[in-house]
Parts: sequence; structure tokens; C-alpha cells
Amino acid sequence: MNNEYLEKYNRGTHIIGRIVSAIALFLLVGAPFLIGKIIGGMPNLSAVAKGFISVGLIWTISSVVEFLVYTPMLGAGGGYLAFITGNLINMKIPCAMNAKEMAGTKSGTTENEIISTLSIAASSLTTIVVLALGVLLLTPLQPVLQSETLQPAFANVVPALFGAMAYQYFRKNLKLAVVPLVIMSILFILVPTLISQTSIMILPSGAITIVLAYLIFKKKGSIEG
Amino acid sequence: MIETLNSPALFVICGGIIGFVAIVCLIFLIRAYKAGIAAGMDKAMLKRTITSSVTFTILPSVGILLGVIALSGSLGTPWPWLRLSVIGALHYETQVAQAAAEQVGVGSLSAANMTPVGFATIALLMSICIPWGMILSFFFNKSYLKKLQGKNKEEENKEKKPNFGDSAMIAMFMGLVSAYIGSYIGGFVSGEGAFTFKGDLTPLIVSVVSAIVMAIFTYFAEKKHMVWLESFSIAGSMLVGMLAAIFI
Repeated sequence: MNNEYLEKYNRGTHIIGRIVSAIALFLLVGAPFLIGKIIGGMPNLSAVAKGFISVGLIWTISSVVEFLVYTPMLGAGGGYLAFITGNLINMKIPCAMNAKEMAGTKSGTTENEIISTLSIAASSLTTIVVLALGVLLLTPLQPVLQSETLQPAFANVVPALFGAMAYQYFRKNLKLAVVPLVIMSILFILVPTLISQTSIMILPSGAITIVLAYLIFKKKGSIEG
Repeated sequence: MIETLNSPALFVICGGIIGFVAIVCLIFLIRAYKAGIAAGMDKAMLKRTITSSVTFTILPSVGILLGVIALSGSLGTPWPWLRLSVIGALHYETQVAQAAAEQVGVGSLSAANMTPVGFATIALLMSICIPWGMILSFFFNKSYLKKLQGKNKEEENKEKKPNFGDSAMIAMFMGLVSAYIGSYIGGFVSGEGAFTFKGDLTPLIVSVVSAIVMAIFTYFAEKKHMVWLESFSIAGSMLVGMLAAIFI
């Protein structure tokens, strides 16, 4: 019975995921036209086309890579949700990986699919609530959040996040962690202009780590140690 | 112009779309929870996943709120609120908005230069540059995952041992973390000129402090069996790391 239920669950996830992705896309592309009608100025489509060629193409390529790399990490439900709600690298991916680590589930299993979906859904709802409260309380909050004292703290949300995640992952796979960390550090030291491209440099770094992991896995049957 | 961009009608449109996405998240959350119970998973673990994901997300979300505040000066509050609640990424929105402003001829992103056509054009460009993840998911999520899972199962049956798929995901994530930590090291050593060691040291110190605090949390969670701590360990480590940035 359970298997049947879970199969039905999986099929349902894809159906709902596809429907809501299509609706969200329609709403997000439609909104500028609706707003334009209200404020009295429609989008200038030739400027949009020019802008798309100058900035959009790079994002299109990186979106394809993000889809290929992160979908296996997120699973079906988590994947649909994460691509609708955004903020993948700085939030959704680490959040799902943390949940997976805590629950001890393996990628590709039903359990992992469920944990990942729960994690992404809870995370997305939290962002929605925090931002809604923030916008509601914008006037009293703005001076506090933008105060000079707190600026360094908020400028370092991502380093704080990756520091904690580094400990969590590196301690179990120390040998595996050293190589990409050293290579990436040397690369950024020698070519500091790449620092602004870190989100793209994830790819070679990930590729090196996967190759190394594969070699260790072939030898030992596991990458831990 | 900025009053128009902050008008109730725009709040209703953007709030409505955010509300739709919130409902979608709730549906996925409830379905996954029910499926977890049907699959015989521990209820406590399912609840802990939700708690840890909520605590995990609060601090980065406050960081994203700052992005909304930063963009609200030129684009009004509703549109950045929508973009950053749904689909957007902090590093993406500001960059595209800026590039779009240049294309429209508004020059720099500022409320003084904004026109209705300028705003609508910027908004549309922000919408069409980033939805590819959604489009690809629509067409390929099912077949892509099916293909991967089929391959994993085949490998598992053939070799009678755990497949490499899970390890590959962990390795990819470790590569991601390494790239970021490496960028903080590179930033300090060569950020202000090659090998000058005069770059910003703060991100590196913050990540080290955060890692140390995480180690302390892990010690108590594992050795002292305070499992409940796990749900708050990342959020707690981040908070201390971020506080350290204030005192550097």
C-alpha cells in the first residue's frame, strides 16, 4: 500500500510542480505589463531585448548549469520549489544539504526526496514571512538594519553560512576537502579578478572534488575519512 | 514617481503573487509530511527537518530583506519585495536592475531618473533573465531525475554496493563551499594587489569563527547527546560569526 501511495505521491509532485511552475512564470512575466498599465507606461520591448542580450544570456547559461547541478541535490519537489523561490546557492542548497545531513538520508531515495521537499518548503515560507514582516515594519526597521554598526554583520551572512557548513562537511571528508580548498585559494590569490565570479567558479571546484571523490570511492567504497 | 511605485495597487499585485507562492509551499510541505509518515519515517525527524530549515533561513532572509531595502529606494518597495521573496537571488537582482537601467537610458538606478516606461522595462527584464530554472524544471525535471535514478539503481544492482551518486552530491557541495572559502583567502591575500595581504580579512575571520562555533555545537550534540541543538547549530554559528564581523 505504501509503495503505491508513494508512487502516487511522486506522480502528483511532478503534476503539481509543472502546473505551479507554469503559473508562476505567467504571473512573473505578466506582472510588469499589469503594473505598466497602472502606472501609465508599458515596457519598451526593444530595450528589453537589448538588455537581455547584454546581461540575460550569461544568466541563461548559468541557469542551465544550475538546473543540471542542483536538481539531483534537491530532488523533484525540492527542485520545483527551489527554482520558483530562488536564492539557491546562498540559501536553498545549503539548507537542503543541512537537512539531509541531519536526517542521514541518501540522494535519490524516497526519504531524501521527502526531507528535501520539507526543507525547501519550510525555508521558502520562512523567507516569505521574514520579508513580509520586514516590508510591513519597514519604517521602524530600516534605521536599525541599515545602521553602521550592524552593516558588517549583514555584509557577512554568506561567509558565516559557509564557515559553519565547511566544518560540517570537511570534518568527515578532510582529505577530500584539502585539494579543492588549496586549488581554489591559489587560483583566487593569483587571479583576484575571479573573486567576483565565485558563483561560476563553483563549477570547476565541484568538478575537481567529484573526480577526487570518485577516485577515493573506487579505492575505499566510501568518501568518508 | 516613487509614490506611484509604492501605491497600494502594486502592493496588492506583488503581495498576491507572493501569497500564491506561499500557498504552493504549504501544499508541498503538507504533502511531503504526509508522504513521510506513509513511508514510515520518524515524525520527530520530519519535525526537526522543518524546525532546522526555519532557523537556518531566518538570518539569510534578514540579509535578503536588506536587498529589498537597497532596491526600494529606486524601484519602490513592492517590486523588490516580490523579486526577492520569489525566484530572485540577492546577487542577481541588483546587477540586472542596474544593467537594465542602463539599457533603458535611465542611467544609474535612482528614483529621480525613474519613468513609468523605465520601470516597466526594468521589471520585465528582471523577470525574463532568470526564469530558466523554472522552465527547465517544467520540461525536464521528471525525465532528468528518472534517468539519474535509473542509472544509480543499475549501478547498485550490478556492483552490489552503494552507488556513487550520493557521494557525488556531497563532493559537489564541498567544491561549492571550497570555492567560497578560497575566495575569502584570495580576497585577503590579493584583493588589494597581488600578495599584498591588505585585502578584506573580515569574511575569512567570520567563516573561521562560524566554523569554530559549529564545532562546539556539534560536540554538544554528538558527545553530550543534545540532539535538539542540531536544529539551531547552523543559525547559532552564523549569528556568532556575524557578530564577530561587528567587532573586527
